[in-house]
Parts: sequence; structure tokens; C-alpha cells
Amino acid sequence: MDTPVATALTLSVSDIHKSFGDTAVLKGISLSAREGEVITIIGSSGSGKSTLLRCINFLETPDSGSVTLGQHTLSLDANHRGFDRADRATVRALRQQLGMVFQGFNLWSHLSVVDNITEGPVRVLGMDRKTARDEAMQLLEQVGMETRADDYPSALSGGQQQRVAIARALAMKPRVLLFDEPTSALDPELVGEVLKVMRDLARTGRTMIVVTHEMGFAREVSHRVIFLHQGRIEEEGPPGAVFGDPQSTRCRQFLSSVL
Amino acid sequence: MSLLADSAVVETARALAKPALFNIYFALASIPLGFPFALALAIGRDSRVKLIALLCRGYIYAFRGSPLFIQFFMVYSVMLAFNLEYWKPLGIDHIVLHPLFLGPLVLVLNTAAYGAEIFSGALKAVPSGQLEAARAVGMSRFQIFRSVTWPNALRIAWPAYTNEVVFLFHATALVYFTLPVIDNQKDLMNMAGELFERDYNVFLHYSVAAGYFLVISALIFWLAGLVYKRLTRHLDPQARTGMRMRPNYLR
Repeated sequence: MDTPVATALTLSVSDIHKSFGDTAVLKGISLSAREGEVITIIGSSGSGKSTLLRCINFLETPDSGSVTLGQHTLSLDANHRGFDRADRATVRALRQQLGMVFQGFNLWSHLSVVDNITEGPVRVLGMDRKTARDEAMQLLEQVGMETRADDYPSALSGGQQQRVAIARALAMKPRVLLFDEPTSALDPELVGEVLKVMRDLARTGRTMIVVTHEMGFAREVSHRVIFLHQGRIEEEGPPGAVFGDPQSTRCRQFLSSVL
Repeated sequence: MSLLADSAVVETARALAKPALFNIYFALASIPLGFPFALALAIGRDSRVKLIALLCRGYIYAFRGSPLFIQFFMVYSVMLAFNLEYWKPLGIDHIVLHPLFLGPLVLVLNTAAYGAEIFSGALKAVPSGQLEAARAVGMSRFQIFRSVTWPNALRIAWPAYTNEVVFLFHATALVYFTLPVIDNQKDLMNMAGELFERDYNVFLHYSVAAGYFLVISALIFWLAGLVYKRLTRHLDPQARTGMRMRPNYLR
């Protein structure tokens, strides 16, 4: 796909550091996304891909670094000690604009499909139930799940659950969608239906950051591919360049092992 | 012979009917207060405010770590000791020292401690993915608790909490071992004991009293089972929130 060049900068993440105990997982990562841009993050397991994504919406608290989205910025310096009240409000504001799709779907098991989607808009955005439900039904249609609105998640296949989870993320009208290995927990025959929904989203100009092992998706759909290795961005560029002519040895090795 | 035994059983059962209401009252008065108190303690014991956590843990330890029987004696004697100085001048001694007040009071204090441990475990057992999804849409801590944590925790706690309710009901048998009987307000144990002392029938009266406990416990299990079914309806793959019965050709 063509890179959206002239669009405005939406999300910028700078100099994220994160350690678990003595293990430094992210060693200063910066990236930014333009409106409508699809970025895929690839790399071997343990390279820090998921941690990076989780640091962007503060499900993991970075040791230092900053995240800016719209008028909201949260910067953490190396001496910070948790969040104060103002920080927590900023984190919530950022999260509302960062839709997250998890590897394990994480649908709320006690709520029906449609309630899973309306819960965020009703509770967090204060939308009235009727409007939220109407919008939820539209989103379910978009992901091809409108006939299952009243089912509980336990009655759905993994692929169906993930499509509902995508609809749930969209219901908050986020500016950026984050996907954390959205197809890795799926049976192979269910991967296609989820990727199709993601492709459609990309085509309609959604800003997306996708951590994935689906190289086909990365190559076809994304505007930019980032290869992460040991907590650093080792290679970055349009998919044609990264897949066709990788500059770093690591990246070449990785690609030859997965392709 | 059998006719005679039958009529003796029926007679005892009849004599124990009104006393059974006192045991039921003690349990019914305690649970609605014990439940929220238990939840508050469960949240408090893991509070980030050290003092609150310490107080809650101390409380839970004290009431789980000592016999309920002693708790009855202690509360009663302490309340008696305050009588001349506080209750009588305030004119509330009739209420505050009444078994119908003190009984539920001690039971609430006790069941809250046990319930707190049940809820505390359940709150921690809520799958982390459920909570992460709530955080990821930007919910506040209170919203997460209300929308996700509590519905899950209640379901997880329910079987164990049912047990606690039945234990509490059985513990009502202890109330009048400590507290005075006022105005012939006897419970099952008082009455069974009184009947026993009349004819020294070692089998009859306590068995019938136990029968009351068995029957009412069965009722509690049944009701709790209905609630549990409701709490776990989403785990049934057939369950839907909308149409209950769909004609087969719609599937």
C-alpha cells in the first residue's frame, strides 16, 4: 500500500526503556505513526515487541520514556515512582484513544458479545445504552459477527472472539489501534478471518501498530516494518525494502528463518 | 409403637417450630451486614495504605483465630461492663444488651472475617486478562471493579461463601449458650434441651432439632445453587442473553 506521506503525526513514542529485574527488555525505542499508517513490528520472541506495545498504552509501565497522542503526553523519567493522580488520568485518556487487541482476546466472559462492546463506551465515555448498542451492532456487522450479538464469548471460536475484540476496541473510537499478536493464539484455519478484518481496517485508513508473526500480512498490508532485536530497532523501512533487501545481518537471519 | 414414636416426633417438631424462627432470625439478620463488611475487609486487607491493611488483617486474624464461643462471651461481658456508664444513661440498654441485638452483632463480626478471606481469594483469582482488557479501554479503578472484577470475583467466591452462610446458620446454635433468654425467646437448642430434661429421651429431641438445621440448610443450598446457576450462565456454551428457546430450524 502507498505510504500516507502528508498526513499528520498521530502517535509518537520516544526513548522507551524497560527492564524486568536485571533484564533490559527495551533499550531506548522511539517510533511515531502518521495518520492512516500501518506499522508492523516483527522480531524473534524475546525481542521486546509485545513489551513495547504494552508500554505504549501503559499496561506495562516504562522505566523511562514518553508517549504523546493528540494533546496528551505522559513522560516518565528514570527516577519516577509510579503514577500520581494526574498521571493516572493521563494514562486513562491515552488508553481511550489507543484501542488494544490482545493475543488471548480477553473478552469479558460474563458479558454477552454486544455488552462486551458497549461496556467501554457506556462506562468510560458516558454514552447512553441505546446509542452504544446501535453503534455496537454496526461494528459487529463490520466484523461479520452481527448474528452472534447475544451469545457469550464462551460459545464463540477463537477467530470469532478476536473479531469481537476488534469491534470492542473500535467502539471507543480510538485514534490508533494496537494489535498484540492477534492471530498467534488461533488455530491455523481461523487466522484468515481475523487478518481479513484487519486488512479491511487498514484499507479504510485506520492507524495501526501490529505486532505479528504473519509475514504475509506485514508485507502486503503495512506501510512500514520495524524489526526489533534485543530491545532495539535493528531495521526499519517499507516492507519492500525490509523483506526484499534487509540491511542488517540479524534481520536477514530472522527473515530467512521465518520465511 | 411406631404410632407412638411418630406422634412424639411430631410433638417435638411442633414444639421446636417457633424456636427455629429465632435461629433463622439470627442468620437472616447477620448475612446482609456480614456480606458488605466482609467485602470491605477483603479490599482493605490488600490496601496500599499500610495502616488500613494492618488493621484489616489484624481484625481478620483475631476473629478467625479465636473460637466463636469465646467471642460471644467477650462481647457480652464487655457490653455488660459498659452498661452503667454508657447504655443505661443513654437509655439504650434494653436494645444493646438484648440477645436479638447481640447475637447478630457477634455473628456479623465473625462471619465478616471468614467472608473477607473468601472474597480476598476470589478477587485475586480474577483472570488478569479480564482486568487488562478493562484497563486498556481506559476504565478507572472503580469502573474496573464494578464492570469486571466484582462480577468475576462473586462467581468465584460463591461456592465457598455458600459454605460460610451455612456455617453461620449452624453457629446460631451457640447464641443462647452465652446470652440470657428473654421473654421465653428460646431457640432450637434451648427448647431441645428443655424437652430433653423433661423425659431424658436421648434420641428424640436433639435429632429433631438437627432435622430443622438439615432442612433449612438444604433450603440454603438450593437457593445458593439457583444463584450460582445465574452467576455461571455465561460458561454454558448454549446460553444466550436473548431468545431462550429458538426453534431448531433457526440454528
